[in-house]
Amino acid sequence: MNILVTGCSRGVGLEICRVLLEQGHTVYGIARNYTDGFKELAIRYKDSLFFKSVDLSVPAEIHRQVFKEYVTNRIVLDGVVNNAAMAYDDIVTNLKLEKLETMYAVNVFAPMMITKYAIRNMLLHRKKGCIVHISSVSVHTGYKGLAMYASSKGALEAFSKDTAREWGELGIRSNVVVPGFMETEMSASLTQEQKDRIFRRTSMKQATSVRSVAETTVFLLSEKACSITGQNIHIDNGTI
Amino acid sequence: MEQRVLDIVNVVLENRSKTKVNNLSPDDKLRETLGFDSLDLAELTVRIEDEFGVDIFEDGLINTVGEIYSKLG
Ligand SMILES: NC(=O)c1ccc[n+]([C@@H]2O[C@H](COP(=O)([O-])OP(=O)(O)OC[C@H]3O[C@@H](n4cnc5c(N)ncnc54)[C@H](OP(=O)(O)O)[C@@H]3O)[C@@H](O)[C@H]2O)c1
Repeated sequence: MNILVTGCSRGVGLEICRVLLEQGHTVYGIARNYTDGFKELAIRYKDSLFFKSVDLSVPAEIHRQVFKEYVTNRIVLDGVVNNAAMAYDDIVTNLKLEKLETMYAVNVFAPMMITKYAIRNMLLHRKKGCIVHISSVSVHTGYKGLAMYASSKGALEAFSKDTAREWGELGIRSNVVVPGFMETEMSASLTQEQKDRIFRRTSMKQATSVRSVAETTVFLLSEKACSITGQNIHIDNGTI
Repeated sequence: MEQRVLDIVNVVLENRSKTKVNNLSPDDKLRETLGFDSLDLAELTVRIEDEFGVDIFEDGLINTVGEIYSKLG
């Protein structure tokens, strides 16, 4: 499969690239930074891993930068993983519009624009492709300070469900992976005490495995998941 | 150009198991005459853009074959 993965430079996105490459797929990665972790993969899989530096906070550029100059119509796209995101956390009374707009550009508008052009690629090649968005448990369980961030992920979940309905008759699927808290750079600013509080709310009392999130994402992209669409799959150590 | 548009229209009709057409007239309506639904129109747009580099629906709705010709003209 040819898969476009956003936010490939570290954390979950990098792990998704790794799982895809281990299974013999070709990956078109996007992030702002070319990191050491990504470079390691690029050396090992030099014929099947590609990279372009794109700043997804400027969604108007996505058509040209991603689909005209990188994943063009000559590439038959099997799937997309909208993983890149940023967290703007603060309590609601401190909300700054400008920060909110940047976060929505990266977390909501960019995945929507990418979905638009990915489906167009799939239409051209009559491909029964698949879209996976990465959301967050904070949409379903409340956390102090995450109202703005969670709202952006909630938008993505709604977008996915209706995309699934709209394109299902052509075999194009859309699903959401909903991870719990993971030990990545995104959660690095939390204190151990804050983390422990979060983990106590899960059935398994620990951080969600990045590998489990990546494996599930790749499963959803695969033929094995051909009857799964419009779903949110929770990978959160049982935050119930 | 008009021959290429006819070919593309027929590719879309064929892909959706609809009856192909022998010729197009500028007055033909995409929905009513050719029986395109919104997903067919999306595929038509994508195929025309791939060939001519023009997104025919970029600024507003297109109703007739003639309107496609003038976008590409
Ligand atoms: N960590 C958690 O606890 C947690 C929990 C639930 C859900 N999630 C979700 O899981 C996904 C992955 O998160 P993570 O933990 O792996 O986060 P991370 O380590 O912070 O990685 C985020 C990725 O997104 C990319 N990115 C951010 N802003 C970008 C921009 N403007 N343009 C292009 N790329 C950009 C980053 O690359 P560059 O910086 O190189 O551009 C990086 O590759 C996200 O959707 C996140 O919301 C995370």
